Amino acid sequence: MNYSLDFSWISSGLGLLWHGLAVTLVIALCANAIGVVAGFVIGMLTQSKSRLARLPVSAFIEFFRCTPALVQVVWFFYCVPIIFNVFLSPFAMGILAISLNLTAFNAEAYRAGIQSVPRDQHDAGVALGFSPFQRTTLIVLPHAFRMALPVLVTNGISAMQQTSLLSVVAIQELMYRGKEVASDTYRPLEVFTTVGVLYLVVSVVVAHALRVIERKRSFNYSAA
Amino acid sequence: MKFNFVFLLGYVEPLLDGLALTVKLTLASAIAGIALGFAASLVRTYGPAYARAIATGYVEVFRGTPLLVQLFWFFFCLPLLLHVNIGVGVASFAALSLYMGAITCETFRGSLTSIKKEELDACVALGLSRMTRVTHIILPLAFIRSMPTLLSNIVSLFKESALVSALGMADLMFVGQNIANTSARPVEVLTTTALIYFVVAYPLTRCVGHIERKVLERF
Repeated sequence: MNYSLDFSWISSGLGLLWHGLAVTLVIALCANAIGVVAGFVIGMLTQSKSRLARLPVSAFIEFFRCTPALVQVVWFFYCVPIIFNVFLSPFAMGILAISLNLTAFNAEAYRAGIQSVPRDQHDAGVALGFSPFQRTTLIVLPHAFRMALPVLVTNGISAMQQTSLLSVVAIQELMYRGKEVASDTYRPLEVFTTVGVLYLVVSVVVAHALRVIERKRSFNYSAA
Repeated sequence: MKFNFVFLLGYVEPLLDGLALTVKLTLASAIAGIALGFAASLVRTYGPAYARAIATGYVEVFRGTPLLVQLFWFFFCLPLLLHVNIGVGVASFAALSLYMGAITCETFRGSLTSIKKEELDACVALGLSRMTRVTHIILPLAFIRSMPTLLSNIVSLFKESALVSALGMADLMFVGQNIANTSARPVEVLTTTALIYFVVAYPLTRCVGHIERKVLERF
């Protein structure tokens, strides 16, 4: 017997998948917005002179990098309400879990960039009377951001893919909708393939955008 | 809220069983994935155009989609296409290996490009056959130079393998969630589960830095 493809579910199911994709993208964008900013702050803190500041920050990074994202997601959903007595909406909780994971990875990405700022530039900042905050935002940040950009984008794409884990805790993102449509229509092959293609398209488009930016950037460098 | 970690002592055995399955699955898929990744990287670097395109497509698809989707696809869709019953273990192993193959392909590609043209010319000058060139020159060089990244790929795979719990494989994550549900003590159980993963993964990530320094020293 040959399996024949049947895409008649599209008329009813595609709307749900689009909706799921929208949720996935919103969560991924929010998580990235938080991750790019918080990652830099955490990355700066790892360079702090005070051991008291470094220790908790390193523990945070190592913990999030050395445990599975799925465990983190499930842990957030079950344990945060019990321990901290906070009850966030599942949507906010999902963003929180994904963004903290991303923050830990982005902090590592920023670290190399932060360390590579030449000592002279720091001294020049002091000589020009910049405050420590100004030195951080005007000298270190642009340099570290440019250095870290490729890894930040790769991490951002991974975070987008990791939002699929939120289907396990019943957030109605793309993967959850995919499972729903697949079991409603008994068409897992077509539905999961479509879901895979949707994720693939987003990943490839973002990765390609990075390549375009990189090319433009190197052009700017040579012009300067 | 009072926490009681002591009751977990009664669950040491299932948790260790879960960890054993996780480790076995990780190792098996790591070995298969690394072999596959190396082959794919050879094709992508030295192969003819059509083979390169296939290998690139493979890597893009497996890196561009979430592993969870891949696992579901292998478990629910592959049996429909092949008309064979695939057990959850085989589906998980296949998906994890192919995923690992795609990531390690990128790792090897980086180190293959670091093999100098002169080194390959030397092989030709010495009259080594193509096979000897691959097994005796390219393979060792590429492997040593990719060691640190390969190890961190294995750590990623170890963490990602938690996803097989969604298919019902009784790995560490699955066992942890089960105990959490039956004992109604999610905080203690899930925290312990996370710590077990951490205890395995953290020393390995430390090794990555160590090997990196050693390798950089010598090669």
